[in-house]
Amino acid sequence: MTEKTKNQQTDDSKIIEGYINHVLETGHEPASVFKFAKDLKMKEATFYEYFTSFDAVKKAVWELIFDNTVHSLESQEVYKTYTSREKLLGFLFTWIEELKERRSYLLAVYGDVPLKDRSFPSELKGFKLKFKDFANSIVNEGKETEEIAERPYLTDKYHEAMWLQVMFVFRFWLKDDSPGFEKTDAAIEKSVNLAFDLMGKSAVDSFVDFAKFLFQSK
Amino acid sequence: MTEKLNEQQSIPVTKVQRAAKFISTGAKVGGNYMKHYAKKVVNPSMNKDELHRNNATDIYDSLSELKGSALKVAQMMAMDKNMLPRAYQDKFTMAQYSAPPLSYPLVVKTFNQYFKQGPESLFDTFTTSAVNAASIGQVHKATKGDKVFAVKIQYPGVASSVRSDLKLVKPFALRLLNMNERELDNYMDEVEGKLLEETDYQLEVIRSKEISEACGHIEGLNFPKYYEEMSSARVITMDWMEGKHLKEWLETNPTQEARDRVGQTLWDFYDHQVHSLKQVHADPHPGNFIIQGENELAVIDFGCVKVIPEDFYSGYFSLIKKDLLIQEEELDQIFYDLEFISDRDSPTEKSYFKNTFKEMISLLGKPFHVETFDFADDDYFQMIFALGDKISNDKMFRKSKQARGSRHGLYINRTYFGLYNLLNQLQANIKTTKPDWLRSR
Repeated sequence: MTEKTKNQQTDDSKIIEGYINHVLETGHEPASVFKFAKDLKMKEATFYEYFTSFDAVKKAVWELIFDNTVHSLESQEVYKTYTSREKLLGFLFTWIEELKERRSYLLAVYGDVPLKDRSFPSELKGFKLKFKDFANSIVNEGKETEEIAERPYLTDKYHEAMWLQVMFVFRFWLKDDSPGFEKTDAAIEKSVNLAFDLMGKSAVDSFVDFAKFLFQSK
Repeated sequence: MTEKLNEQQSIPVTKVQRAAKFISTGAKVGGNYMKHYAKKVVNPSMNKDELHRNNATDIYDSLSELKGSALKVAQMMAMDKNMLPRAYQDKFTMAQYSAPPLSYPLVVKTFNQYFKQGPESLFDTFTTSAVNAASIGQVHKATKGDKVFAVKIQYPGVASSVRSDLKLVKPFALRLLNMNERELDNYMDEVEGKLLEETDYQLEVIRSKEISEACGHIEGLNFPKYYEEMSSARVITMDWMEGKHLKEWLETNPTQEARDRVGQTLWDFYDHQVHSLKQVHADPHPGNFIIQGENELAVIDFGCVKVIPEDFYSGYFSLIKKDLLIQEEELDQIFYDLEFISDRDSPTEKSYFKNTFKEMISLLGKPFHVETFDFADDDYFQMIFALGDKISNDKMFRKSKQARGSRHGLYINRTYFGLYNLLNQLQANIKTTKPDWLRSR
């Protein structure tokens, strides 16, 4: 690792941590990048080297959480042996653990945001993109092991459904007041089971197949 | 059609009502009485059998989805084997042995939460799927070195959902037992308290240690060792007990001697708990016992422990004594204390209920009146049904609107009823040991 990248990393995370701390202590985002950089004893230009705006910082927080999740997930020996269903479960459980570390910040920023389907804050985009890749790898693997039934058009949209599920879990967790967020655990378990039961081969597939047959042989 | 339906409903309604009341009286044998009722109801028509089976499937399905306390209630109903029509019973018995499992990622998460490391680093091997379902959790088998462990993991959110789950079961219970709501509430409180205790795994470890130490001297009785450092609010680690469940064991056609021996151990275990420790493992359903090697009995679940209050104890058991030599007033007081009669009863009601309960209890106490008792004796169980029948046809009981019997009686009755039931299944001949003061002169 060169001297430069090392510095980069520290500046990078320094800005993110500084931003989070500011939000935690004051309840709102810094008045300006100038003021913020000054507080961090950093040149304003250094800030812009990494981020273009505060929204970009927020975006980085989400991506950081995602990267940490995947990293700690992959460091578990047993993860490789998981089925698709278990991989998604494992992801969500680990993700919630990561979110827990920053719960106050997330509550301060997203506590009042409705997070409705259409009004996802734009800073989630990066996270969504990364998650999409992750979800697609799960779906593909599921198709190989026949855990997930191949359905024209639909299968390609499964990652969207999983994303909605991730947002559902996030909303649920924000409002969860059970000790140790036990209810979120239950919500994850149940919703993922439902999702995979729906994605698996079911009576519906046989029905469609049969209907198609009847239609074609008329 | 409507009429037919009404008719179908009306028969059980009145009968179960009476039957249910009978249970609530604090009689040990409420369940047995129900058996009689259930036999009568289920046998006459195939239709109804099917109806029950369908209902049972529906109820079981929704209950097993719920897990936790609702499943526990299902288990409780299943344990009182005779309390429910047979179709319900078979479905509920399934609840005792299986429930949809918890995913492995959640198990890993639970471990990380409490021990800051996954199961695979805490143990040498750890089964990724559950080997057994416990009522509010599941059991995994693990090894470390040359030791084999059973690791019980609780479903998340069970404790916080006890109350709402019970509310959910209440309509079922009302319908199945046909008790009135006020009556049921009295007992639901007791059940809720016990269920909450059951979700507290730390308490369970403490109690398991207490009782297994206090009962360690009983011959032929084994307890697993509990490992506190590998247990937490939602995880219990204990020794893996090798052996057969009661049902499996009975299928191997054990000799009379072997059955007597296991039965005797069971009796001694309960005798010591009730009369010496005054706290009792109140969950004698077959799934909690394992028969090991040389006909030894292992007790594996201490979730449900009932502490017996002193005044309830003395009242309850002084009624069981063979020769009731106590004075009339003293007897009255006991009946008041146990809530068999109350001030709201008229004098005729009082004397009527007193006599009936006396008759009933002397019958139920029969095993206590002799030195050895043969629980294989179906005649004895028949006599109990007959008395139950007599009472069920009685106007006084039908009219009485009150709950009869102390709430403490609920778990004590359940315990004794479960014990008698197990001994009957074992067809065991038992030396009914008892404290000296209970001995007949």
